Amino acid sequence: MERITKGEAVVKLTDVSFQYEEKLVLDQVAFTLERGDFVGIVGPNGSGKSTLMKLILGLLSPTKGTVELFGQPLSKFRDWSRIGYVAQQVAHGAGGFPATVREVVASGLVAKVGLFRRLKAHHHEKVRDAVERVGLTAKLDQRIGSLSGGQLQRVFIARALVAEPELLILDEPTVGVDQESIEQFYSLLRSLKEENGLTMMIVSHDVGVMTQWVNKVACVQKKIHFHGTAHEFAHNHEQILTQMYGDSVKLLSHHH
Amino acid sequence: MLADWWQYDFLRYTLFSGILIGLICPILGTFLIVRRLSMMADGLSHVTLSGVAAGMLVSKKIAFFSAVNPLFFGMLFAVIGSLFIERLRKVYKAYQDLAIPIILSTGLGLFTVLISVADGFNTDLYSYLFGKIVTVSIEDLYALVGVAVVVLGTVFLIYKELFAVSFDEEFARVSGVARRAINLWFMVLVALTIAASMRIVGVLLISALITLPVATSLQIARSFRQTIFFSILFAEISVLAGLYFAYLLDWASGGTIVLMAVLILLVVLGVKKLRVLMR
Repeated sequence: MERITKGEAVVKLTDVSFQYEEKLVLDQVAFTLERGDFVGIVGPNGSGKSTLMKLILGLLSPTKGTVELFGQPLSKFRDWSRIGYVAQQVAHGAGGFPATVREVVASGLVAKVGLFRRLKAHHHEKVRDAVERVGLTAKLDQRIGSLSGGQLQRVFIARALVAEPELLILDEPTVGVDQESIEQFYSLLRSLKEENGLTMMIVSHDVGVMTQWVNKVACVQKKIHFHGTAHEFAHNHEQILTQMYGDSVKLLSHHH
Repeated sequence: MLADWWQYDFLRYTLFSGILIGLICPILGTFLIVRRLSMMADGLSHVTLSGVAAGMLVSKKIAFFSAVNPLFFGMLFAVIGSLFIERLRKVYKAYQDLAIPIILSTGLGLFTVLISVADGFNTDLYSYLFGKIVTVSIEDLYALVGVAVVVLGTVFLIYKELFAVSFDEEFARVSGVARRAINLWFMVLVALTIAASMRIVGVLLISALITLPVATSLQIARSFRQTIFFSILFAEISVLAGLYFAYLLDWASGGTIVLMAVLILLVVLGVKKLRVLMR
């Protein structure tokens, strides 16, 4: 498998629109994620940022436009183990599930190992490595119900990492995680990016904390209103945010 | 009394069937319960019941079908019912459990109508409802062996996919797992298992054998594999002890097996409580 070199597009959206029933959620969006990027996607509720993520994950298909992953059109892309996904934690409700940390993390290998095949010794080693990477080796054989919110989130990171993806996509990863764990969590992500060369994309409404850690920021509100470095964003964020939220306010008052 | 189990064919068939049921019901039950679909077994068992009644009706009215085991009609109806449930779950995305009462009432309604059309049956319907040892035939046993081979083979071959889909359907989908095909195949297996098990435990009690041993196992298991392992253990104890006492005391086999499973659950809960108190 050929790895994409720096600067090349890992994800490329061209002229993408998405319509849900009567509502236009995304309007002719162009968006590129380059190898090595650590991008934060921000936007108010209902802005289309989750839709953008789902389009990249292949959970939705665009109404118009094209989505390319690693240079291949979405319809032809099969190499799903190259993309790791960490969903919003509250959506899981997984605490009561009778599985151990080891079993959950191993399930991240399902795409890589392939249908009808069973996990071999080297796969189990990968599971141990991924659990160690997120600092939960001591909890390896405990039921996930006994973990805290922050620890459970790290289990899901390990599950995404175990297949050694090149792109990691995280949806609202810090919802339901306590303040102290959030810091730990972002520094873990940063070290993953630096040591493993991962490309990362975080979708979050928590603009304040996230934008301190990422390299680039994209603001979504039906269109992409800003896409630049985190540095630029920090300098102009008030203007950018009023522009975005202001738009939505205008839109509302127009209706009434 | 124990020697009877080897001496008489029908008892041997019952014993083998019981062991197979005790193996496959809790395995499927574990996946059903963690997906919060434990009532699915109930819905499908009622559809199976209507299939059995349909089978009896056609064998009574149409000479061509007179030799066909009503069990196969039960299987056919159950499989159609399971496909229908999958369809309904998509229609009512926000109320997925609504599919179960819909299918359950359809099955029961069909069952009562078919009985009235047939003007009653000579065959012992009661045994299909609650299970009866003497009714197990070699044909029933062969059907069950076939179903068991398919269930065990499936779980062996796609265990990791079943686990991934059960634990986190969205993640499985993002990983490129063919979750639709897996869900459908799994429901078909549940339907076939219910139909094939009904001679022993009876349709009305089959869901108990699918859920009770797993409920007990969840109390003590430390992993998903252990959950499956202990649920099989508890199911086998329930089946073997249940069959033994049912024959000894001339009780309905289904009810006796289910009561055994309840007893084991109560013992496990009691021991657990006691250990907490002793601490």
